[in-house]
Amino acid sequence: MTESLDAIPDTFVSVDRAEGAVSFVVDESVYPLDAIYGATFTFLDRCFVFLGRGEPGQVVITLSAKKPPVEDDELRGWIGELANELLACAWRGRILEQNRATIEAVTMQAIGGAMGPPSLDELEDFDFSEEPFDDPLGIAMSWEEKYGKKEKKGESADDSGEENA
Amino acid sequence: MNLPIFHDVSLEALDARQPAFFRFRQLPMAPDKVVLSNLEGRWLVLDKADFQTFARGEVEEGSELFTKLRQRNFLRAYYDVPAAAEMIRARREFVGAGPNLHIMVITLRCNTTCVYCHASRANMDQVQTDMTKEIAEQSVDFILQSTNPAVTIEFQGGEPLVRFDLLQHVVEYAHEKNEVAQKELDFTLVTNLSLMDEKKLDWLIENRVQICTSIDGPQDVHDKQRKLPKASAHGEAIKWMKRIDERYREMGLDETLYHVEALVTTTRPILDRWKELVDLYVDLGCRALFLRPLDPFGWAEKTARLIEYPRAEYIEYYRNAVDYMIELNKQGVEILERYAAIFLTKILSGVDPNFLDIRQPSGAGIGQLAYSYDGTIFTCDEGRMLHESGDDTFAIGHVGTSKYRDVVGHETVRAVVVAGQLEGQADCVNCPYVPYCGIPPVHSHRIQGSLLGRMRESSLCQVHKGIQDYLFEKLATGDEETLQILEKWTTIRPRDHFVHVPAGAE
Amino acid sequence: MRELRFAKDLYEGTQVDAAVKVFERFGKLSTAEEADAWIVTVDAPSDARVRRLAGELANYALGLTIRGRQAEESTE
Repeated sequence: MTESLDAIPDTFVSVDRAEGAVSFVVDESVYPLDAIYGATFTFLDRCFVFLGRGEPGQVVITLSAKKPPVEDDELRGWIGELANELLACAWRGRILEQNRATIEAVTMQAIGGAMGPPSLDELEDFDFSEEPFDDPLGIAMSWEEKYGKKEKKGESADDSGEENA
Repeated sequence: MNLPIFHDVSLEALDARQPAFFRFRQLPMAPDKVVLSNLEGRWLVLDKADFQTFARGEVEEGSELFTKLRQRNFLRAYYDVPAAAEMIRARREFVGAGPNLHIMVITLRCNTTCVYCHASRANMDQVQTDMTKEIAEQSVDFILQSTNPAVTIEFQGGEPLVRFDLLQHVVEYAHEKNEVAQKELDFTLVTNLSLMDEKKLDWLIENRVQICTSIDGPQDVHDKQRKLPKASAHGEAIKWMKRIDERYREMGLDETLYHVEALVTTTRPILDRWKELVDLYVDLGCRALFLRPLDPFGWAEKTARLIEYPRAEYIEYYRNAVDYMIELNKQGVEILERYAAIFLTKILSGVDPNFLDIRQPSGAGIGQLAYSYDGTIFTCDEGRMLHESGDDTFAIGHVGTSKYRDVVGHETVRAVVVAGQLEGQADCVNCPYVPYCGIPPVHSHRIQGSLLGRMRESSLCQVHKGIQDYLFEKLATGDEETLQILEKWTTIRPRDHFVHVPAGAE
Repeated sequence: MRELRFAKDLYEGTQVDAAVKVFERFGKLSTAEEADAWIVTVDAPSDARVRRLAGELANYALGLTIRGRQAEESTE
């Protein structure tokens, strides 16, 4: 049974007091899916969170009390906080895209500076066996590997040792 | 209004009247004034008419306004990119420095019960909350791996003097290990002073350990919220503050620089008594007062109905107290407010004083680390406090088992570093205070459930905006003497006496 | 008994499966697939338990979906 909440527009919001749940219909063209995920994630510790489909292009977010019943004030608080977090996540997503280079650069400097270079023990644990890159020009090959004498067909290192002896 | 600095201007002639990138804010208590700042943190305060002329790109070349704007790099046609880049670099000089502050919680036991205890202290019989000698040594070994050439070990609790023996061992062990590590070391003790005695003081002075305490206000306020059985917490703290300062004077140390630092935790009862608070600190010989608001950690949430307050009331208290401090300065009394000093240093000097909770990215994980009594490592002391309340989000390793690089390179540290950069924050992106500000993600996590937070609803953002509004008003409208006082508050005088330079480096 | 519909364009199927595996020991869970959704039917001895099991499973599936998406984006 859906009802409405005082002071909350019922165009987007419906309430099921028996379940201790509020639902919020969100337009994906206004709040991208990443913003929906970001905002609903912040409620996982307080509510049961369900995402569903409404009309095309709409996501229905339902926040349900872990222990019903809950007072209307709390339900209003959830809706208000969800709406604010959706806006913050949506806008933040755009800002981060525009400022990504700066944020990445500072983050790398901060973490790199705090970590410092690896110790000899850490280098010892590092797996160097995996080829890090393709080498079509043979730049990483030693001179001997690249230009050394090729073995004659059928001849082995042991045979050549015996001949020389 | 934010004109993008990388706007494509190749198809049009540059117009000297066009503004370069700026952010702005109308000052709430002086609405005829508008603060502008640019990307590198240069600023101006304009009256509304001038601001509108500038924003519309109608500034007359050669006018006084034009000259001011050009000098401060607000005009697109004259925008000095290398100078801007250099200023940005200078403001962020601390970024790659590595953790310099290491907070060791050597015990949770405390003989005082504070109504807002952020540390979630333990009773005196709970010896299991003491750090063991082994964990203390492992913590020091870990600390000395920091990439920062200078390291501060700060003893916190509980009450660290409960385990003075362990504190002594840590200092001695750190010196011994530092013969190899070769760091500049200093030690700070954060204490309620009630367990101090002459013997302990002799040792602390001989070993050059800085001492810091709390004074929350006049005796009735302090003792009501910081209960020491069978004694006055206020009386004991003041007695020892005076004794320690006397010892420093006897040693010939400059008393304007060397004295016990005291901090306030602002609670509701002190909001109307700002004058008494400032007078008390002046009488104690303190040269600085840090008007800290309540933090949302530890017991503060449970006792909120007794001690909490709307942040608008805090701002009013702050303005009154600092106005009074400025007046005292005009009468020759040296007293500064620490928040103001931090922000003013960034605003006026273009450098960052590296106060870890008001910088971007915040210091958590990269500028500071906290070590709990059981050896768990946290990004910051507030992260450790959350752990005591059941939230392990900011736990990033253990001194006995974790490698240094794995700890500071932990995914939580990376998340906190990203979250602490306000260029990625809604609302901050339009705020002119962003070059000077910083919000620790742990605070947003605690009050809003997300590292990133929502600044419009952040009590800490409200505090920082309120303080900076006040400072810019003063900078715009203050008399010459006020401006000189505020400038003086930015002077950083290092306390070299407490710095232990490794042998061979002197 | 309660039926949960996990829309395929909102939840990762593998993460819904993972959530079901974690919670199946707490009740009776059965799964089905429709064109546009994964269906999980939750049954347990009491209504309260059904409600709680459905809620915790849904939270877990959402959390895993979000983490999986973040992991994908960070390797792009």
